[in-house]
Amino acid sequence: MTSSGTLEPSNPGSASSQVPSDASPPSPVGAVLVVGAGIAGIQSSLDLADSGFKVYLVENTPAIGGTMAQLDKTFPTNDCAMCIVSPKLVDCGRHPNIELITNAELAELTGTPGNFVVTVKKKPRYVDEDKCTGCGLCMENCPVTKAVYLDQEKVEVKLEPDDLKRMRSIIEEYKDKEGALLPALHDINISYSYLPEHVLRYVSEELDMPLSLVYQIATFYNAFSLKPRGEYTVKVCMGTACYIKGGNRILEAFERALGMKVGNTTEDLTFGLETISCFGCCGQAPVVVVNEDLHGHFRISQIPKLLRSYKEAGNVKTEA
Amino acid sequence: MSKLKPEDLAKITEKVKRTMLLREGTGRAKVIVHMGTCGIASGARAIMSALMKEIEERNIKDVILTTSSCAGLCSREPMITVEVQDQPPVKYVDLTPDKAKEIFAKHVLSGEIVKEYALAFGSERVP
Amino acid sequence: MKVYRTNVMLCTCTMCVSVGALAIRKRLEEEIKKQNLEDEIQVILTGSSWLCTRGPTLIVQPDDVVYQFLKEEDIPHLVEEHLLKGRPVKSLMYVHPETLYPIEKLHDVPFYRDQRLIALWNRGIIDPDQIDEYIARDGYKALAKVLKDMTPAEVVQEIADAGLRGRGGAGFPTGRKWEFCRSNPNTPKYLICNADEGDPGAFMDRSIIEADPHSLIEGMLIAAYAIGASKGYVYIRIEYPLAIKRLISATAQAREYGLLGEDIFGSGFDFDIEIFRGAGAFVCGEETSLIHSIEGRPAEPAQKPPFPVQRGVFGKPTVINNVETLTNLPRIINFGAEWFAAIGTEKSKGTKVFSLAGNINNAGLVEVPMGITLRRIVYDIGGGIPNGKEFKAVQTGGPSGGVIPKSLLDLPVDYERLQEAGAIMGSGGLIVMDEDSCMVDIAKYFIEFTKDESCGRCTSCREGLAAMHEILTNICEGRGKEGDIELLEELGEATKEASLCGLGKTAPNPVLSAVRHFRNEYVAHIRDKKCPAKVCKALIEYEVDKDKCTGCTLCARNCPSQAITGGKKKPHSIDRTKCIKCGVCIDVCKFDAILVTTGESP
Repeated sequence: MTSSGTLEPSNPGSASSQVPSDASPPSPVGAVLVVGAGIAGIQSSLDLADSGFKVYLVENTPAIGGTMAQLDKTFPTNDCAMCIVSPKLVDCGRHPNIELITNAELAELTGTPGNFVVTVKKKPRYVDEDKCTGCGLCMENCPVTKAVYLDQEKVEVKLEPDDLKRMRSIIEEYKDKEGALLPALHDINISYSYLPEHVLRYVSEELDMPLSLVYQIATFYNAFSLKPRGEYTVKVCMGTACYIKGGNRILEAFERALGMKVGNTTEDLTFGLETISCFGCCGQAPVVVVNEDLHGHFRISQIPKLLRSYKEAGNVKTEA
Repeated sequence: MSKLKPEDLAKITEKVKRTMLLREGTGRAKVIVHMGTCGIASGARAIMSALMKEIEERNIKDVILTTSSCAGLCSREPMITVEVQDQPPVKYVDLTPDKAKEIFAKHVLSGEIVKEYALAFGSERVP
Repeated sequence: MKVYRTNVMLCTCTMCVSVGALAIRKRLEEEIKKQNLEDEIQVILTGSSWLCTRGPTLIVQPDDVVYQFLKEEDIPHLVEEHLLKGRPVKSLMYVHPETLYPIEKLHDVPFYRDQRLIALWNRGIIDPDQIDEYIARDGYKALAKVLKDMTPAEVVQEIADAGLRGRGGAGFPTGRKWEFCRSNPNTPKYLICNADEGDPGAFMDRSIIEADPHSLIEGMLIAAYAIGASKGYVYIRIEYPLAIKRLISATAQAREYGLLGEDIFGSGFDFDIEIFRGAGAFVCGEETSLIHSIEGRPAEPAQKPPFPVQRGVFGKPTVINNVETLTNLPRIINFGAEWFAAIGTEKSKGTKVFSLAGNINNAGLVEVPMGITLRRIVYDIGGGIPNGKEFKAVQTGGPSGGVIPKSLLDLPVDYERLQEAGAIMGSGGLIVMDEDSCMVDIAKYFIEFTKDESCGRCTSCREGLAAMHEILTNICEGRGKEGDIELLEELGEATKEASLCGLGKTAPNPVLSAVRHFRNEYVAHIRDKKCPAKVCKALIEYEVDKDKCTGCTLCARNCPSQAITGGKKKPHSIDRTKCIKCGVCIDVCKFDAILVTTGESP
């Protein structure tokens, strides 16, 4: 709800105007359509209306004001949000140049910059708008105060036998325990080295937690990844001591050596590259950790040898 | 192991006391076995083993046994230095395991210097 | 119990392991066997005991001799000379940075001599996996005393009298916090040990747990008894696998001895500890976030009050103490409040453990009495700045703290004085910076860190830090403009004012203190487009010192962008259009022939 209309031909978008866009500069007459009556839309409408444009302000919800009307304070001045927005709401409603079209959405937009034709779809209110004074009495007296949602049917998540075997012991340990999600995710992370989606769905069902919460926790912490990790995860320490001893240069050098940015995994799933905020090994700064192996006093020139040694170790492992 | 009672702490402390004194480097007495090449050649290892055995058998907690290099008197090896706290160190020379045991029993444990084996009192080392 | 004449205390902390301590151990045991010394000499694996930069290290007791920078091939010589023949090996000892003379005795090394060990009481002396050794060092004696002779109220009073303040950073009086919880009628109560050491550059908690896990367990038992808790959590970072392992083993041993569980020492007091692994979120170091994390909710902070002592984990009264705070407790109970209160300054009692790191000779853990000057920490204990560089500043308190410039080196270290200087005590990270550290770059680094770690709940923290980061990036990349410094200050103050939790309230500190003490550097970046420390890539150029370059071609062969050209044995030159300023050439050059200049490019 933030897009706003302007008259500038160079800025096509949701603008609508009757002014033909020929060589002569457009004169400040005509109409502008503003989509979204949040604080940005309201302010744009007021500015445009004050400069003499006719403004159509279209808003999806039944009332204007948007998110700001729900906030307590604004950043960075800590001013009261309502004190800023409410006079503008009133101005908007009263302004002779502004026509509010609420509970409506944009259905079609045709034409060229400077000459748009807009179709707006108004949703039904089931209330006679001419007669309603907005006294609020009907709202208070409506017997339905809370929408009733029926229990959603349980979706059974099926796992492959191998996954099921791995998961069963984890779930059994944490089922019906308070605060079990994080420890459970840790165990999954250890078992799979990342958090696969189908397993998370299973966890959500088994621990009876919304998938959204599981997802929120899984993405909140740095220790978890939703993507498969490489066999070797190179973690470059970005602690203060490592940083002042050139940790970021080491990271860049790894990015060059592996041909990818930090946070990715090589295509053959051999190496992943991550940063970590501190290993607590500041005495050995700068530090690079590959899986569990710490490499202290690291130098950029060691990178090729290091990567080679792991690659070879990996090959041996797969052969054996 | 059953549950500990407060009194048990002292027992455990007693049990590991020797190790702890060793780590802290403090003890009532210190026996230094001189283990230069000359010392080893003339049997210092045997002296060391004998002393270790003494400590183990008598269950001594507060005596530290350590090694040092050649004291410069190669002809009279094997030798040991006994340092009892607050007393000047005493050097013993021309030892055998039995002599060492005797010194241990008399000097280290009872504070009685075994004059017949002693070389000199005091240390020639610069403090 | 078997008798040994000598114990070899090999440090196997995370850091020493990272430089090969385990290989040393294997070789050491082989060599001891070879010399038939296995009945006389025992190898003990300890937690962090000494200078962490000088690992792997080992200490030979009772001789009190310390060896550093060990390599596998040194071991046969060392075993034969010292362990067999009793001749300490001088070439492997600590060398005094000025006199260049090896120091034989551990306790004569200035780094060690000037410390005062309370929280690190057992460091390097005991085997962390042996509860008996901990007990022999007066372990669990304080617990016995507390359970037998003191009421919970008396314990709280004792700690209050000692003047112990929280070592996690804020310095809230521990006794007062306990009293709030103890007098709360709501039950059950919980005790949480905060071992989520998120500050980059701090590793005290890890080292304490690795070296002496039982001190923490005993401290938790004392605290739990005082506040009336029967369940405790240790919230520990997943990045500390060794510490977690040692703590699990220690709790198992304590349980076996009946020191955790029901009816401890027959007193009717029950307590057990659960180890909770954090998952790498800086904000979890904040009390309310940590509680949410344990409860399994998103780890976002909550408004205080209610404080955790009123409504903590699962809505019950909860005390959260830092690792170091808790490990101080056994000593305070054993030696008395008066003894503890006599150490330190008027308002800050006792000692503080700092993790000294950065551009300093002796990086490692140091425990010093409060009120010691920074100069003594940096020069006497830390041994000064390596490579003859100039001291520039110390950074304390990590991303919540600030920088302290050279002019304030004689500042006594305590909670209040550091705050006045614009820094904080913090959890105890102490990073020393030399002339090669750029204060704008460091500020940018910290803001980048806090920006990433901000949970996003408060707009001020989420957007304010992002805005500050953008300005700092612009300054570092030569796009700074007049008024940027003032804007940074304004944004910083607003972010501090408007954020809910400790992260946002302190995150602008590194910038504000850097602007306060090093304004000139900011001006140089903005006005003259110069980086005086020659760090900011956009403002520096690399060139070859024609006089020093021997034409060895090493740099040319290592340059990733083929920017260096020049024939063999002829001075090389760098093509500035190709140079990506990665620093590899400096890294490989053996003749210091690569120069960095700033503000001289056309």
